Amino acid sequence: MSTVLTVEGLSLSIAGASVVDDVSFAVSAGEVLALVGESGCGKSLTASAIMRLLPSSVRQTSGRITLAGQEISALPERAMRALRGQQMSMIFQEPQAALDPLSTVGKQIAETLRLPWQQARPTVLRMLEEVGISDPARRVTEYPFELSGGMCQRIMIASALISRPQLLLADEPTTALDVTIQAQILDLLRRLALERGTAVVLITHDMGVVADIADRVAVMYAGRIAEIGTTTEVFAQPRHPYTKLLLTSIPRLSDQPKSELAVIPGLVPTPKQFGPGCRFNGRCPNADARCAKSVPPLETLGTDHATACWWTGRVT
Amino acid sequence: MTAVLSVHDLIVSYPSRDRNRPPIRAVNGVTLNIQPGEALGLVGESGCGKSSLANSIVGLVQPSSGSILVREQEIVGADRTTLRAMRAHVQMVFQDPATSLNPRMRIGTAIGEPLLVRGLARGAALHDRVLALLDEVGLRRDQADMLPHQLSGGQRQRVVIARALALRPALLVCDEPVSALDVSVRAQILNLLVELQARNGMASLFVSHDLAVVRHVCDRVAVMYLGEIVELAPAATLYATPRHPYTAALLAAVPEPDPILQRSKVRVPLAGEIPSPANPPSGCRFHTRCPKAISICAVTPPALRHIADTEIACHLA
Repeated sequence: MSTVLTVEGLSLSIAGASVVDDVSFAVSAGEVLALVGESGCGKSLTASAIMRLLPSSVRQTSGRITLAGQEISALPERAMRALRGQQMSMIFQEPQAALDPLSTVGKQIAETLRLPWQQARPTVLRMLEEVGISDPARRVTEYPFELSGGMCQRIMIASALISRPQLLLADEPTTALDVTIQAQILDLLRRLALERGTAVVLITHDMGVVADIADRVAVMYAGRIAEIGTTTEVFAQPRHPYTKLLLTSIPRLSDQPKSELAVIPGLVPTPKQFGPGCRFNGRCPNADARCAKSVPPLETLGTDHATACWWTGRVT
Repeated sequence: MTAVLSVHDLIVSYPSRDRNRPPIRAVNGVTLNIQPGEALGLVGESGCGKSSLANSIVGLVQPSSGSILVREQEIVGADRTTLRAMRAHVQMVFQDPATSLNPRMRIGTAIGEPLLVRGLARGAALHDRVLALLDEVGLRRDQADMLPHQLSGGQRQRVVIARALALRPALLVCDEPVSALDVSVRAQILNLLVELQARNGMASLFVSHDLAVVRHVCDRVAVMYLGEIVELAPAATLYATPRHPYTAALLAAVPEPDPILQRSKVRVPLAGEIPSPANPPSGCRFHTRCPKAISICAVTPPALRHIADTEIACHLA
């Protein structure tokens, strides 16, 4: 499989405070990589940096982003605009808020193709069928408010994928949806990624969603990647204490009723509270003096598994 | 034992936007009981009427008909004095702690307000009660002087819980209490809720769309679909052997944080979306999406009946 996206050493800061620090990963064609973490861990900012849609308060201090062999971090805005929606697309959490309320859904999807409506119509109808919208000829004439949340997300996916981009960034695409609809949308994303060979970066806070559709997963904590690897390996053998604790603190259907959940003590630090060492050290059961002083490097553990912890290899 | 809460044939309807159309029934004839110390979970997808039901129990929504008994006292159509007395027994915790606290009121004042308003404590006694409540929900005593914005989401939810506990209610209604919280904080709040139930013998109604969360907190679970209860059973039974096809589909749709289990799961195909309560399907309201529907399902609404320890509304059960 060919590599579609490479992010190398991405660092972002807000007013001098580091919010994303030295983040690196790669995604291949047809692969789903999940960026998972709690709010404030930098997962959405990472996606915005790839699209170069960062809010003006955020500064990119370093990092190289390569899309299909072309370095895009230094491209002028004009060239980026040509890439967005064509080579790389993004979908968001609230599909109803991401769609234009005053335009029919058909015209919104056609806009991505940059063709007049009559010429774009057959392609749009085919695409809608592909994302599982019944009676597309009627749907294209409707406005977003006439559609349910799940249907709006299908429309978003249709307009994101209609120009066959190589990369799709999906930021919490199912968080606002009900579980039965979430299952439908996740199946759809997985199928389209495989059929079209689209590389997908899926941002989520839900380990269940990761387990369902991601081939690989990067666990982020406080702006850094704590652990990255294939989904099966990270879930079966989590090596970073944060990943381990996170996995045991999630309520599962298989748990005993009213059993006590494992708890990660304390709170996620804010960027101003970040110390010089590992950012998890204040909440980590293993932390010692070294963890507070210096940043653990991302250490490779196998063919496709790496973790950033001073204790790797010492504690299992 | 007399039930803390007893809801009988409750109907909650809202007027249609179009005045020529009949009102929309968000809750369509719900009957349930909660015993002292028991935690009942109420699950279903958005629009199933679970929040309307919860809101009518705390008196935020006026039901159109039916009965709600709180400790044997009727509150549907009750006068203000009765309602005010009832509210001391039923307290509520909302989803978003950021919007359910007054941003300009200090934490200690917010927690003590129910006691002050009802004239139950004042001065030094009130102060002591507030400090005890802070201890009870795991907040630091010095946080009493803080404002909501100085706390994290999880801490704010602890404040909301402390405020709800101030009057020692017999029933705590929680509407999606952990949905707005981060994963690592969620576990802390869930553990706290389970601990408080055990320690105070308080009953609770726990409204949530998250079946894994409900399993952790509840003794019994009611599953709602389009305003009606389709299955009500002890938690252990419901999760092990769901009898209603909708319960089975909901459980199958929950993505489990275990890739091997999750990918080997047989997916129950639940076609389409929840129909509009303005125009509910005939017969069994679930028949349009049910993978097992037969001809009778489209015609006759199934009655809720008892099978062993389960109440279920399905022709095929």
